[in-house]
Amino acid sequence: MTGALIEARGLTRRFPGGAGIGGIDLDVAAGEIHALVGLNGAGKTTLMRVLLGMLRPDEGDVRIAGCALAETDWAQVGHLVEAPLAYAELDGRANLLLAARLHAVPKAKAAQQVEAVLTELNLGAYATVRARRMSLGNRQRLGLAATLQHHPHVIVLDEPTNALDPAGVIALREALLRRAAAGAAILVSSHHLDEVARVAHRITVINGGRVIGALDPHGADLERAFFALVHADDTHRSTS
Amino acid sequence: MSMRLLAAAVAVEARKATASRVLTSTAVLLVAGVAALAAATTAAATGGNPQLTAKLGPIAAAGGWPGVLNVATQVTAAAGLLACGVALSWMFGREFADGTITGLFAIPISRPTLALAKLIVYLIWAGAVATAVTIAVTAVGLATIGHLPSADGWAGLCRLLALTVMTAALAVPAAWAATVGRGLLPAIAVTVGLMAVTQIVVVAGATGGWFPPAAPALWALAPDTVGPVQLLVAASLPVTFCLLTLRSWHRLQLDR
Repeated sequence: MTGALIEARGLTRRFPGGAGIGGIDLDVAAGEIHALVGLNGAGKTTLMRVLLGMLRPDEGDVRIAGCALAETDWAQVGHLVEAPLAYAELDGRANLLLAARLHAVPKAKAAQQVEAVLTELNLGAYATVRARRMSLGNRQRLGLAATLQHHPHVIVLDEPTNALDPAGVIALREALLRRAAAGAAILVSSHHLDEVARVAHRITVINGGRVIGALDPHGADLERAFFALVHADDTHRSTS
Repeated sequence: MSMRLLAAAVAVEARKATASRVLTSTAVLLVAGVAALAAATTAAATGGNPQLTAKLGPIAAAGGWPGVLNVATQVTAAAGLLACGVALSWMFGREFADGTITGLFAIPISRPTLALAKLIVYLIWAGAVATAVTIAVTAVGLATIGHLPSADGWAGLCRLLALTVMTAALAVPAAWAATVGRGLLPAIAVTVGLMAVTQIVVVAGATGGWFPPAAPALWALAPDTVGPVQLLVAASLPVTFCLLTLRSWHRLQLDR
């Protein structure tokens, strides 16, 4: 193993019909933002679910901070995969306090932590608004606050900019850059190549459930390079 | 299982439960429904309504405290199972319906601990509902009959309290169904199915005491007809489904 905070080796999980992921190797080092890009159905969410124990792999191994999933210290992990952890009947502050308790944050520290993240992600106006009354974008922002507020060492985000307005995208970007600078390992999936290029240290391309290559975040034409990789892989698979 | 994490999980579930319109409205509807039906039937019995005798039996139609308690017990056994099934369907099924289940993975509190916390909060809710039902029926009896119950009446009220808690326990298969079915509707279907089968067994007669979902109601209505062994057999149903629910949460995968 490499000493990375997220390590996956030979991860395979197939669903009936053949969808899923196959033989994926992946590392995310401390202080690194590692982006996964791919078309819809490429396997990004499935990979994240396997990394977080939401799906058991058919084959392969996952280690978080050097530990197998059964021994992982989950208090050091924050994730948002698909739906935000936002209960409709609770307001923004109550949702964040609940998320803090679920991450084993002591009650005395939780309140202070919640106020800090409300400020960091510009959610102060929604502290006393029930989640059911929030827009989709603000619920997403609330879910991101719940993920990031305890300053986890390992962060996994699936399409985190979904439904966010431009101000939310910037707030998230800055929050992620701060945490990476503090040593967190961040794995983030996205469709937005421009946004990925702004924050990611590494970009891995997934297609058909496999890793098919990498992109240079500082490359001149990321979109062209992405589609060239995907097209070459599709062509290769259709002829083999 | 760490007691500190279980306490945190119970605090989280209690916070969700106290903010829940579903749990509050279900409790209010059950308490008000049982009290209203007990009051209405007592008033009808006083007027000598022959249809009441046909529908609810001679004890209910006789009126007085035996009548109030008989009606309250019959209604609680049936409506209580539905109300408790709805409460459990929401507590467990909403995590899947709302998508919040993903946030309950990869956290320090294990999923079986979370499921146990839900069941503990549910039991506390059921205890509060049982107390409210018993107080409401006592108030209805005092208002319509005009005097305190006899020793038999007090015993009947105690059995009503116990029946409400036991009925809540009998609804636990809904928690398992919500988990296995990944939503609210499978749990509602199991609750309605359980109600229907129980009613058929009770109507069918004498062997109902050996059918776990029917035993508490039969005991509450006629304690001499159901023995402690039959009640123990009945207790095996919720215990089994509590364990099955914890196991389902332990083995849970988001694969569909």
